[in-house]
Amino acid sequence: MGPILMVMENGEAGFTDSSKELVAKARELADTLGTSSVAVGFGPDAESHLRHLPVDRGIAVSNPELSQYNPLAYEKALSKILEDNQPFLTLIPNTTMGMDLGAGVAARRSLPLVAYCSELTVEGRDVVATSQVFAGKLMAEIALPESGAVITVVPGAWSIDTGSGDPEVSVTSVEISQAMNILQTIEPEKGDVDITKADILISVGRGIESPDNLPMAEELAEAIGGVVSCSRPVVDAGWLPKARQVGKSGQTVKPKLYMAFGISGAPEHQQGMRDADLIIAVNTDENASIMDIAHYGTTVDMLELMPALTERLRGE
Amino acid sequence: MIGQDILMVLTILMFLSATGYFVYRMLPIFRVMQQARSTNRLDNWPKRLSFMLGQVFGHRRLLRIRLSGILHFFIFSGFVILLIDIVSAIGQVFDPHLVLDAPLAFVVDLWALLVLVGIALAVYQRAVLKPERYHGSDERDGYIILAMIAVIMIGIYLHESFYPFAAPYLFHVHAALNPWGFVSYAMGHLWIQMGLAHNAAVAETGYILGYLLDIGMVFAFMAYLPTSKHLHIFLAVPSIFLHKTRPYGELVPPMQKEDESMAIRTFRDMNWKDILDLFTCTECGRCQAVCPAHAAGQPLSPKMVILELRDALRKELGGGEPVPLAGGAVSAEELWSCTTCGACQEACPVFIEHVPKIAGLRAALLEDGEVDKNSQKVLVGWDRQGNSFGQPQRKRPAWTKVLDVPIKDARKEPVDWLWFVGDFASYDPRLQELSRLVAQILERAGIDFGILYEGESNAGNEALRMGEFGLFETLAQKNLKWLEKAEYNQIFTTDPHSFNALRNEYRKFGFEKPIRHYTQAFLDLIEQGRLSPSPLGIRVTYHDPCYLGRWNRVFDAPRQLLEKMGVELVEMPRHGANSFCCGAGGGRIWMEEVGIKERPADNRIREALTLDAVNYFVVACPKDMSMFSAAVQSTGSEDRIKVVDVAELLAQAVGLSVPESAVAMK
Amino acid sequence: MRIAVLMKSVPDLVEDIALDEDSGQVLFDEMTYVPSEWDDQALEEALLIKEESGAEVTAVTVDTGDSDNILFTALAKGADHAVKLVGDYDPSLTNRRRAQIFADYLRDQAFDLVLSGVQAIDDIDGQVPGLVAGIMGWPHASVVTEVHSKDKGVVLRQEYAGGLVAEIEASTPLVIGIQAARKPPRYASIAKVRQVAKTQQIEEVEAESPDVPTLAVRRFYKPVASGHAEMIDGDVEEVASRIIEILQERNLLRR
Repeated sequence: MGPILMVMENGEAGFTDSSKELVAKARELADTLGTSSVAVGFGPDAESHLRHLPVDRGIAVSNPELSQYNPLAYEKALSKILEDNQPFLTLIPNTTMGMDLGAGVAARRSLPLVAYCSELTVEGRDVVATSQVFAGKLMAEIALPESGAVITVVPGAWSIDTGSGDPEVSVTSVEISQAMNILQTIEPEKGDVDITKADILISVGRGIESPDNLPMAEELAEAIGGVVSCSRPVVDAGWLPKARQVGKSGQTVKPKLYMAFGISGAPEHQQGMRDADLIIAVNTDENASIMDIAHYGTTVDMLELMPALTERLRGE
Repeated sequence: MIGQDILMVLTILMFLSATGYFVYRMLPIFRVMQQARSTNRLDNWPKRLSFMLGQVFGHRRLLRIRLSGILHFFIFSGFVILLIDIVSAIGQVFDPHLVLDAPLAFVVDLWALLVLVGIALAVYQRAVLKPERYHGSDERDGYIILAMIAVIMIGIYLHESFYPFAAPYLFHVHAALNPWGFVSYAMGHLWIQMGLAHNAAVAETGYILGYLLDIGMVFAFMAYLPTSKHLHIFLAVPSIFLHKTRPYGELVPPMQKEDESMAIRTFRDMNWKDILDLFTCTECGRCQAVCPAHAAGQPLSPKMVILELRDALRKELGGGEPVPLAGGAVSAEELWSCTTCGACQEACPVFIEHVPKIAGLRAALLEDGEVDKNSQKVLVGWDRQGNSFGQPQRKRPAWTKVLDVPIKDARKEPVDWLWFVGDFASYDPRLQELSRLVAQILERAGIDFGILYEGESNAGNEALRMGEFGLFETLAQKNLKWLEKAEYNQIFTTDPHSFNALRNEYRKFGFEKPIRHYTQAFLDLIEQGRLSPSPLGIRVTYHDPCYLGRWNRVFDAPRQLLEKMGVELVEMPRHGANSFCCGAGGGRIWMEEVGIKERPADNRIREALTLDAVNYFVVACPKDMSMFSAAVQSTGSEDRIKVVDVAELLAQAVGLSVPESAVAMK
Repeated sequence: MRIAVLMKSVPDLVEDIALDEDSGQVLFDEMTYVPSEWDDQALEEALLIKEESGAEVTAVTVDTGDSDNILFTALAKGADHAVKLVGDYDPSLTNRRRAQIFADYLRDQAFDLVLSGVQAIDDIDGQVPGLVAGIMGWPHASVVTEVHSKDKGVVLRQEYAGGLVAEIEASTPLVIGIQAARKPPRYASIAKVRQVAKTQQIEEVEAESPDVPTLAVRRFYKPVASGHAEMIDGDVEEVASRIIEILQERNLLRR
């Protein structure tokens, strides 16, 4: 059986949390299945980062350009690594990088792809993957074929292994095609507030219906001493700036209180807020996904509840 | 002899050139009308004729603004009288023996005076009162016209007063001052005293000057008209005769060809009456004064829509490059601001139809994919789920679940009344309680009723008014599938918008079942003794929903119903046909509120607050409940006025327990 | 520039997912389908590129029984051509097989750019653009929010966690997974779609059913409500009061 391979994504300092979350699981699987765990890193610093990971082996693709993600270069490099190492499973965080690499590499290597994977277990002879489908409304349980699979893993699915190891790291480099070049990286507009620093977030989604209702959320946020954040549709509609977006393509937040108004809770959104200390969800649909991770939920009309809360907070 | 000949030739020349120029300017307009779509406006002509006479000679609509109506009546009647003068003045030139009989001379002189008074009032109105409704109108044109009319009147007096003195020289006849023509008689005596009368040259000059000021100006006026708002002198009367009679609430007539679209892209996509409307507009701005969007500070004025279209057509006729009408001549912002409340059409003294033009122009925008993004979601929701809430179709009857007695499924068994519930009453959690109350009232009255459950879709009234004819058709077909299959005697609804669609718009699919609004139906039930309300003893005001009142002329039933419940009704200044829209219609309820200074609903609540000791604002439309409840909050008047649905009042009056969560109790 | 937009429909999530809980099978035939919203975004971006710098846009679907409406809508919005890949396919068609069918078709066509929704909600591997690119061996980028034609290629924006954005210059041919177009997708009125359906043709191309790597799904199931929220019942006033209580208990209120 081939190794369990994991792809580490570069963050501001070392590898990102969502890639570090893969490590313990990969090792656990490797141990159970009697194979090895292999971590792949990119860029000139990858070698030193890989050396401290509690894995069996490391592969560093050391081209200086690759400290920054490049869809084409990464995919070509990873394809080559897969070809050389023939892993049983390839785990990639389900981020933008994962969405690029997972599908691309799986197709190039004629392997099946399991996206939005939230769990991997060994049941007898089978390795079983659990994947979120239909925007998290259903889960799929898949017995992986012996030929292996490429798996993109939902951030937050597993916890980070804080231990360290001393793996052997092989260093390689690839030829970089000029077909795709990064021109520049644009930092998100910081905006007036930093939602990642707020203790209380009043977060609004599609249910806000119209920008005319935003003042309601602002008033509530002011009354409770928090700030307004939102889900992707609100940003796409141009009603709030990108800096206010919580979720996969927005900010990851961990406030003391997260109040989700009219947010259904797609996996992409949950990725950004599931670790909040207290989640209260207001949604007309009692079965909305957000209710699965919220501590409290209610189905009353959010447009009536917000002013009612504001009134009480101001009155006290 | 020579003087008369010159006058005769001059008159003929003036007549020929003025009429020639008039026809030259008017012909292109009529050609455009010929190329436009057809519409039958000659049906039932005796009724049209009597209606026209009432409007023309009774000045019914004009007199709604008192001063303006009176002064217009003076000037208008002057034009009728003027015809007598024209005949006599021109006749005199050709046959000097023609002299007005005593009473006619009196009438002409009196009316010329009234016209002058009218003009003075008109100038006063324009220069001193300066009503806002004139904003955007061509004020210069207004003054030019008033001046021309004044000149004609002065001309009449002048030539009449000099006639006896000039006649012997010009026409070789003798004539005397006619005391019945009292103004010219007095002026004639003035000329005698001043010694002007018996000077041949002065008398001739005075007469000819007066004649030219009168008849010459009449012809000049005629030549001026085609480029002036005063074309309405010729077009208003026919326009009133040709007013819309097919169910008033029907926005779009049946399509005549299969692929016909309601979209107005060029002037050919309008019907010929629409073209006539553009040139009939008097720029009086009465529509603008009553428009809720205009009052809210939005960029719409129904008057400007008409004028912008007219100017675009004039430019085109003048050889200019055609501009796109929707989003060009008339901006998208103007078009999407309209609530389709119909107040403009109700106010228009010449019966211009603004709303179908706006809807047609919206349809053109929509075909190009230009629509407010919020309402786009609603359109998609209607298409996919049949409701504006984006909720599953299967949840439509969810509100019935907690009822003690289940409601019959009219798709499965015959019922007496088929209740068409509508989106808001089905899905809005705030209104579901109200729907349950209506169900209980019907049960109390022993009515055998049912609903279509998941078989009901939105009626399509708003989709059509947003310009989405195809979607309207799709929704109508979905509903008709059951409306035509189910067995029932009449349709019942609480929703004026559904009421309008089912009553007026579904006719084009051959559907003509009787339909009653709940205010009508409840009144019947009380009159039949099936419900016996005990007096509530409260003072209320009542808001006429646009789609019940203006578009369907149901004004009395709700008022009688209130009376039967022992409710004292205090009318708001704007009521009945002049009711002021809540701002929700025509899809506005889903659109972004951009640049609104005062929401129409807030404006309306403030109007109600001016009434003495009125604590209840009674509505008869689910959208009104939604809009006005919000307005009471946003104006901070929760302590002073409560929005109640007429069904809540009836429920209380017949002793049903009105739940705490019903809107009235909040 | 020739652009292909790959489109598909997905079950309408407003309605419940039809799941036979005993067998763990999704009943694909019993659901209503709507165009995948990401594909709509991809079409919009393609049309924006066309408006900005000229392009020929072709909408492509695999016929699983409901393609016509999607294609006519695309034509009504401004696509130049519509292609339906026909074969014995139904709504349960996997995205992997779909991607292979798309790729087999695209290989023979001279498209410069292939756009599609970054993902689709209805499958375990809903990332059609990445799969198509991988099969064809073309470069690709996903989670893209803006594409402009430039010189011989494109300049695109790819989004990462935290709102970070990279501006990437890429040469064609290229496959792009669109997360969101620059502007919300335009509306196609029903009358326009009907008119298009009468006047324009959908090109039908026979497509064989290819062999692809498959996954054995043991079962589908609703997420266990292990962590389901404690529901607060009552009317708005009661709910508001209860929430305030909860916040007080947890010392989350300032006073």
